[in-house]
Amino acid sequence: MDYLLQQTLNALQWGSFYALIALGYTLVYGVLRLINFAHGDIFMVGAYISFFVATYLLSSDGLGLSPQNTLWLTIVLTMVLTALVGVTLERIAYRPLRRKGAHRLYVVITALMCGLILENGNLALLGATKRKLPELIDKTVYSIGPLVITNLKVWVIVAAVLVFLFLQIMVTRTKVGMAMRAVSWDRFALPLMGIPLDSVIVVTFVLGSGIAGLGGMLFAMCYPNLEPYMGAMIGWKAFIAAVVGGIGDIRGAFVGGFLLAFVEIMVVAFLPSTYMDLFSFTILLLILWVRPTGIFGMPQTTKI
Amino acid sequence: MLPLFVQTVLVILGVLCIGYAIKRVIKQKKIDCLVFLLGGLVLIFAEYFAWIDGYWLSVIKFMGLNIIFATSLNLVNGYMGEFSCGHAGFMCVGAYVGGLISIILFTKNKMLGAPLLPPELAPLLFPFVLAVAGGVAALFGLLVALPSFKTRDDYLAIITIAANYIIISLIINIDFVGGPRGLTGMRGVVRAMEGVADIPWMMIWTLLGVMVTTMMLYRLVNSTLGKGIPAVCQNEVAAEIMSVNTKKVKLVAFMVSAGIAGVAGALYAHMFSSIYANSFGIMKSTEAMVMVYLGGMGSLSGSVLAAIMFTLLIELLRFALPAMSDLAHMLPFVPNSFNISQEWKWVIIPLILILLMQFRPEGLLGNRELTDAFPKLKRLISFGKRP
Amino acid sequence: MKEVTQRFGGLIALTDFSIAVDDHTLVGLIGPNGAGKTTVFNLASGFYHATEGQIIFNGQTYDKSLEPYQVTTMGMARTFQNIRLWNDMTVLDNICVSQYHRLGYGLIDAWLCNERYSREEKRVRQKAAKILEIMELGDVANEFPKNLPYGLQRRVELARALSTDPKLLLLDEPAAGLNSSDVDGLIKHIRWIFDEFKIAIWMIEHQMKVVMSLCQHITVVEFGKTIAKGTPQEIQSNPDVIKAYLGDENV
Repeated sequence: MDYLLQQTLNALQWGSFYALIALGYTLVYGVLRLINFAHGDIFMVGAYISFFVATYLLSSDGLGLSPQNTLWLTIVLTMVLTALVGVTLERIAYRPLRRKGAHRLYVVITALMCGLILENGNLALLGATKRKLPELIDKTVYSIGPLVITNLKVWVIVAAVLVFLFLQIMVTRTKVGMAMRAVSWDRFALPLMGIPLDSVIVVTFVLGSGIAGLGGMLFAMCYPNLEPYMGAMIGWKAFIAAVVGGIGDIRGAFVGGFLLAFVEIMVVAFLPSTYMDLFSFTILLLILWVRPTGIFGMPQTTKI
Repeated sequence: MLPLFVQTVLVILGVLCIGYAIKRVIKQKKIDCLVFLLGGLVLIFAEYFAWIDGYWLSVIKFMGLNIIFATSLNLVNGYMGEFSCGHAGFMCVGAYVGGLISIILFTKNKMLGAPLLPPELAPLLFPFVLAVAGGVAALFGLLVALPSFKTRDDYLAIITIAANYIIISLIINIDFVGGPRGLTGMRGVVRAMEGVADIPWMMIWTLLGVMVTTMMLYRLVNSTLGKGIPAVCQNEVAAEIMSVNTKKVKLVAFMVSAGIAGVAGALYAHMFSSIYANSFGIMKSTEAMVMVYLGGMGSLSGSVLAAIMFTLLIELLRFALPAMSDLAHMLPFVPNSFNISQEWKWVIIPLILILLMQFRPEGLLGNRELTDAFPKLKRLISFGKRP
Repeated sequence: MKEVTQRFGGLIALTDFSIAVDDHTLVGLIGPNGAGKTTVFNLASGFYHATEGQIIFNGQTYDKSLEPYQVTTMGMARTFQNIRLWNDMTVLDNICVSQYHRLGYGLIDAWLCNERYSREEKRVRQKAAKILEIMELGDVANEFPKNLPYGLQRRVELARALSTDPKLLLLDEPAAGLNSSDVDGLIKHIRWIFDEFKIAIWMIEHQMKVVMSLCQHITVVEFGKTIAKGTPQEIQSNPDVIKAYLGDENV
């Protein structure tokens, strides 16, 4: 029983990562109906950005700040810079296709390729040596009865919940959020109503990428070894989570992330760990077969 | 080695076959078939007599493989307008199945010990090995096709990528076929074939493979049966109403496509002494996509052309990248440690596809064939009968 | 169709709808927009499964597993409100592919290019050529439908439905968007097909000229319910029908 509870805690932490990235996927899909396959790699870029920023801020060649100050500054800078990467991607790759009214197929291929370029470009530019994120906070371990959890893990879970609440409030209560929801229903009517489509899309990418950047940094803090392909697999898992929850719906992404993590942790508890990825992908296929719109999603019908 | 008598008989048979083919082709005025036959013979002799360097011969064989691989994907991504991004998975299946069967049948291997059949039968039975490899790959194609009934474009992309990944990770977990260390031993099969007759077998098989698969695809897409495929693509509701069994058409298309990719995989396995499941991941699928979209969705000759161009491009990069690296070092601000390594290949390939999508999504030939662009060629090319 | 009720979630599209279309008759289905006419056709062609009620065609009752292409194989063909031609295939190909269920060869035959294949392909093409000639479309056989004028596209769609060898032809607003000379041509073609092929035709149409001149029997629906049935003359003078179309004041 204790074992299960401990695993549940681990699942909560693991699921927070999935949730953070899945939220980004869902935002972009909800607004653009585009599965931004490059999103997992933006997560990876965020992790690397946090590495470079933290190293620079901490080192004596750089600014030589203390770890505490570095932490907050790194968080902010990582989110901003990652958001910048995401927006640049949108501007260079997706927007021209949107302008031309290109078939969705072309945009999806472009997204897939952008992801690959980010991964391989990282490998090509920075080489295969693994980078390690410097220690930024003191780790304290809490014990609640027989369960063990570090303060870092708590922070991760808290971050995910806060981000979710923030997004939920934003999408349902603010004007910007309403504009985002409007875009997902009818992209063409939006400019007619006086709302600049491009701005809404940029905001979406800023939010999505920024959150992914945060996720990347938190991940790097928990698992300090970085490598170029780290985004690929996590990106896929987060994507599966988003689909399971119902892509396009924020609640779906959040719930889906934790659900998937829970399943994975349970699988690893009882089966060899090599089966974990296999299980997740098989779940994806099953969900797509049985209920393609996921838990919270809405089915779409065509008129005959 | 077989007794001299049998060898002579086989050689005479071989020459007779070729002579008959040439005669038939000339009689029916199929110039392109003639060109292909003669070209093939030239290549075979080139390898036998070592007229061309071995490296370039293997490039040519690789080109043949890419042609088979690309044209098979074009059937699903081009003609049927679906979005299959995991094509390398089928090639992987074909490679492992083909390699495994021929190793077990014809060579001493780690799994079952002695070969099950006399190695002399290797060249005779090799086409069956290829066919079985293709068949198993086609079954996997069936598994992937089933979810495609209910899903739209993006979701199919996901399903196929997931399937690709699942196939690879399944194979890596099977120790029987070598697990992550890969499958080895195909060289032994080729040696067994060379034991029968010392001719360039892999070149022969590759050429035959290209000819047969291209012919199969060509005949399929030009028949009314095959035209059901673009009909399903362009307006599925109308196809349903016009008595086209859309589910069956999709299944058949996926299965044929996967099967032919499997044949390419089996040929690939025998060209190299060992194969690794990991090399059939998303990057390989991306290569196939580049070839298909470069040549033009729905254009068979386009895929052939693009496959040839792509193979040459990869070779070019092999030389060009170090040259660019040297060039870059001549610039003042580039640090000495910076090298344009071969890794950049994997950046350039996706970049090509992105640029294609931006500037010329219909590729070289769009959905027309080479004969549409050069109508005079139509008189020469009549590959397969047109009623 | 017998007492078919069709529900989509909470929306009742059809209530107790019944109709019988006999051999070699020309029947019309009219009604204001949103009355459920296309729903009736979708039920008949097998796209929807009736929530309640029975549909029988050619002696066979529809069940849950019926696919639209099977309905076509049984002998029912259909055209659509929006033109659903295969725009990147030639007109000839459009007509050939719609004979799919009559293709007497399989995949292997196509690969081997054997006798059976050549024979069937030739037959299919000849039939297509004949239909094109009947419908006066011979000149455009190698054109792409997207390049043809609207009236010709409609005619191609009619020709395509015809090539499936139907016993019952469903026409969903065949005259929509046509100018008056095209409409006359359409009436001529439909009457010709009716007389020549001796099939049953069931049509949805808004243009009264077409309905009145062609149909032998008309059913009128409004909000999913049948409000009148009868010959053209009876329908024209039926007060309920007039009220449905034109509103109370003009009675």
